[in-house]
Amino acid sequence: MNKAVVAGEQYDCQPTLDDQQVIDFCRNGFLMLPGVVSEEVNRRAVEFLDSHDEEEPSAILDEQWFVDGVIKNPAGAGAVRSLLGRDFVLPKLMANHRVECPAPALNWHADGGSVPRPQCDYLQVFYYPEETPREMGPTEILPGSHLYRGFGGFLSRLRSVRDSVLTTSPAGTIFVTFYSIWHRRSASSATGIRNNLKYNYWRTVPPCRDWKTDPDFDFSWRLFETPILNLRGAELLTWLCNEEWEHLGGQSWPCPAQRKHDHDQQGLPAGLRRHPC
Amino acid sequence: MIDATHIALWLAKLKQGRLSPADLEQALQNLKKQPAESVQRLLYLQTHTTDLESPVIGMALVEGAQVFDGPDDPDDWPYQTVLEAMADGWHIIKFPELTMVYLDPDYGGMKWEFVLEK
Repeated sequence: MNKAVVAGEQYDCQPTLDDQQVIDFCRNGFLMLPGVVSEEVNRRAVEFLDSHDEEEPSAILDEQWFVDGVIKNPAGAGAVRSLLGRDFVLPKLMANHRVECPAPALNWHADGGSVPRPQCDYLQVFYYPEETPREMGPTEILPGSHLYRGFGGFLSRLRSVRDSVLTTSPAGTIFVTFYSIWHRRSASSATGIRNNLKYNYWRTVPPCRDWKTDPDFDFSWRLFETPILNLRGAELLTWLCNEEWEHLGGQSWPCPAQRKHDHDQQGLPAGLRRHPC
Repeated sequence: MIDATHIALWLAKLKQGRLSPADLEQALQNLKKQPAESVQRLLYLQTHTTDLESPVIGMALVEGAQVFDGPDDPDDWPYQTVLEAMADGWHIIKFPELTMVYLDPDYGGMKWEFVLEK
């Protein structure tokens, strides 16, 4: 049997995210792709993990069915391609947060190695091979926390957080995160095993707005939403578009407004304007 | 001492069909073990701003040497502001650390925190 060669391999595929989805990633710090992996791959993944129940079952990266079905999954890899550009490096290590339920919640944290700056050179991706309802302790995420410091024990005093999101998911869900997002394993009340695979992809090319772009997309006048596209999120978006960050303050971009206007917002990066001067 | 915090937690579990005899048995054991007056209870409340009437955006309850989450649904949390907790007999023992935002603005949300005791 030929082994899949993943470690260090560069890969390219069609980007799948549009401008709005990239903005949403910049403000939320994550995006969900529910049920994108096939039932057959999910079944084989669970079987594999039952026989490789260690914390780092990286041998799964040698399995062609897994590489094709999960690592190069069109929706998952397409989202990665959108954010990291072409020829991104495939994962070299596989972690599994495998837990026997019921289990208590873990502390809130940002993973070790977090560098919460408005650049996106790598992504942390999760994969649930089985359905993960509330009772099985899905990962809980705080949207918009990805560009703030969360290490050094600062977060461990937190418990219930109002705007947090439980990643309850059908089997075969992939979710893509900005590495430094604040998260925790939530408490589980059911009985059984919960698998949650975690792996990283890496950028090799400078950022470029080459996802599914729309020349008429209006970046100006963001409406009020939770979380808002704040300054850090906007700076990240600017970096991903390889534009110049020139925040002016006041009502300039990305300050939200009650409604859209038919002219560009002051301070919007030059390459994102619909009505260039 | 049973108070609004406990009732809110149990009510939320009851609504979700997750209230079990074990929850009530544990509460009973805690009551039997130690007189309520001798056990410190803490309530961590994170808020949007430093205002006592600012909405609570995070909570944790410490009692009987254990730390508890609030109910899953924030609408079921026992207090929606710090003032509401004070009205139920909680005493503030620590106000938000105002210097932190100047020391390092990279520390973002969840930084305004009141610690209360009962």
